[in-house]
Amino acid sequence: VTPRAGGTRTLVLALLATLALAPAAFAQPDGGSPAPLRIVTPASGRCGMCHPGDRVAFEKSPHAREEVHCTSCHGGDDTTMDKAQAHSKGFTGHVSKAAVPKMCASCHSDEKRMRPYDLQVDQFELYQTSRHGILLAKGDTQVAVCSDCHGAHDILAASDPASRIFPTNIPRTCGTCHGDTTLVRQRHIKNAYRDYLTSVHAHQLFDRGNLRAPTCVSCHGVHGAAPPEVGDVTKVCGRCHTAERRAFIAGPHAAGMARNNVPECIACHGEHGIQPSVTERLGSSCVKCHEKGDKFEQMGPKMLADYQSAVTEIAKAEKVIAEADGVPMATEDYHARIEEARTYLREAMTAAHSVQPETVAGFTLRAKSVGTEIQTELHRKFGDRRTSQAMILVFWFYVAVTVGILRRLRERGPKAKK
Amino acid sequence: MSATPQDPHRGPGSATPLRWAIVEWLEKRINVTELFSLLTHFGLVYTPVDTRRPLREVMREIGETPLVSYARWPHVLGLLAALLFGLEAFTGILLAFYYHPTAEAAYDSTAGIVRDVPAGWFIHQMHVWGAYLLVAVVLLRVARLFWDRLYHAPREVLWVSGMLLGFLVLQLDFTGRLLPWDVKSYWAAVRGLEVVWSLPVIGPILSFLVGGRIINDDVLLRFYVLHIVVLPALYLGAIWFTFATMRRIGLSQATERGVATTTFRKHIIDLVTITLALFTGLVTLATLVPFRFHGPADPYTTPAGTRPPWYMLAAYALLQNVPGPAFLVGTVLLVVALALVFLPMWSARHHEAVDDKRLRQVGIAFAALWLVLTVVGQLTGGHK
Repeated sequence: VTPRAGGTRTLVLALLATLALAPAAFAQPDGGSPAPLRIVTPASGRCGMCHPGDRVAFEKSPHAREEVHCTSCHGGDDTTMDKAQAHSKGFTGHVSKAAVPKMCASCHSDEKRMRPYDLQVDQFELYQTSRHGILLAKGDTQVAVCSDCHGAHDILAASDPASRIFPTNIPRTCGTCHGDTTLVRQRHIKNAYRDYLTSVHAHQLFDRGNLRAPTCVSCHGVHGAAPPEVGDVTKVCGRCHTAERRAFIAGPHAAGMARNNVPECIACHGEHGIQPSVTERLGSSCVKCHEKGDKFEQMGPKMLADYQSAVTEIAKAEKVIAEADGVPMATEDYHARIEEARTYLREAMTAAHSVQPETVAGFTLRAKSVGTEIQTELHRKFGDRRTSQAMILVFWFYVAVTVGILRRLRERGPKAKK
Repeated sequence: MSATPQDPHRGPGSATPLRWAIVEWLEKRINVTELFSLLTHFGLVYTPVDTRRPLREVMREIGETPLVSYARWPHVLGLLAALLFGLEAFTGILLAFYYHPTAEAAYDSTAGIVRDVPAGWFIHQMHVWGAYLLVAVVLLRVARLFWDRLYHAPREVLWVSGMLLGFLVLQLDFTGRLLPWDVKSYWAAVRGLEVVWSLPVIGPILSFLVGGRIINDDVLLRFYVLHIVVLPALYLGAIWFTFATMRRIGLSQATERGVATTTFRKHIIDLVTITLALFTGLVTLATLVPFRFHGPADPYTTPAGTRPPWYMLAAYALLQNVPGPAFLVGTVLLVVALALVFLPMWSARHHEAVDDKRLRQVGIAFAALWLVLTVVGQLTGGHK
């Protein structure tokens, strides 16, 4: 028993030894495992020894990987642990807000440096034309500088969903100031952030995940952010709503609004809290500017009436089509024509921006006539069906005759023998 | 069965009409009477046929056989059921030429039959209306057998076969309903299967046989095979069995209500008249009150107010409104169904005619309860 037991023990020990060595065998120096946490990095040097929070934030940024060091912005010496020595050699310490744009521009306006990254170099010039830049130049340090939107140390690329300037984060980034209730009250500006969150654009962006939905910068510009002037509003909105703009310019409102200094699209749709378009608003919008009973005031309700009568006809046509589908009859063509009518209706709403009832009627009448045509055609087909159903009378007649003959045969009995 | 080989009224030399000349020409070559005698298996001829004799003599003899007057309403039910089954088989075969039993194509192919195939709408509507009438007629026939106490010896077998026909015709209706894959038919099948699943023992077995509790492509195919092959074959067998037994035992009227006689010739004419009346009624219904389509079924959206087929409404009402687990209600349903089959026979054997009157009262009470529950099911049916 003993030698055997000894043999088993040896085996077990050998196995345990192998298992203990296994992790060592797998531990490769650069085997794809996450980089070991280093306190001293090329980007931050020895600064991170005393400023760990800033170091960690900075390491997230692409800057940390592109030859930008702590010393690039703050000066000083990152090779020493001696505080006095580290904070010498052109050390600037905290960069003042007014100095930030120029400091960033020292690299970002340098075409030679930015070329490899395919980055713009005109941000600084644009910034100086923006409302922010103009006020900063006047010594107003409450306005936004580069770091307010991009972050100070943790500057991420625009394509990074965690970045402050990713589409879904832009409203909140701007809203840091423009949604700050204290700040907007002090400075007598609109709470644009609050309004924007109620808008159809915000709904598209946040609820539908549509990254192409407009954010603050889509209308106001990025680095040259400024509110569009009266007269430019239609151009800004028209960048996406092209057909509406074309109709608007063709109509009398464009010139009239410019004359009276009325902001075009905003006058009816609002600015930041733009609501989904509701047809019924056609009937109630005119009275906002025009006097009640005025011939202009009545144009809206007229267009609305035209539109609604077309909608009614289309709804009726759809009902008749559903009836035909129940039979079933061939209705593919009618379904296609309903779609056509719907397209006319959509175009009618676009044309309504020209405030010319006759133009709108051109579309609504077409839609309406499609609806009535479908109804007429299907009702004729139903009529034809009823006519063929009446053929049952002929059938009944022949059945009656046959039954009569059968009765006579039954009563007469077998044929008389000759 | 007379053994006389010759017709006494007509000598071999007398002039024969052309149709008989053809028959005589044929008879020299094949046994036409033998072929004709096949009909006796399906109830058209009630007397045995001597296949050794020429057809003409056989026909004459049959034509003048005194017969219980057949075309009276209680007897007509069985006849109508047989005729309607023939109609369903004929129209069903025509429909099967165009129908595709897959979830994707079922609705479109059915709608295509009605819309695009020449006279397809007529065949389809006749099939649907015929099915409604067939179910009604077969169930009425069961009620009639019960009411006229036709479960006494020696008619117990006919009573059981009547119940079997009723059961099969409901299965045929239920499986056929799903085939168009229409919104309404689909959800009627779903609700109907809820009733079936509540039955103890039978429910799980059926659920296993059709392939689960979810009505999908596989279930559709299985229903299709059941509807066009298995159930019709069983039904045909049950019809044959009923007629064979009927020939042995005789029609009920001859034994119960005195003999109202007619000749076979008149009977055939009555039969043709009834067939014609039935066909006329069906054509009228199919033309003037056609069934409508409601769009293809979507298993992911349940429309409001879905109910099982009408004959399951009473059971469904119980399931919906009686608290407690479904299998308790299912047990009650199963016991009632089994009692329906065996109680009359059991009562007839043990208590003779004394309890028949009471049994009728029980039947009326049961029918009334069933009607009330059906109405309740119709009114309260909807989302579960």
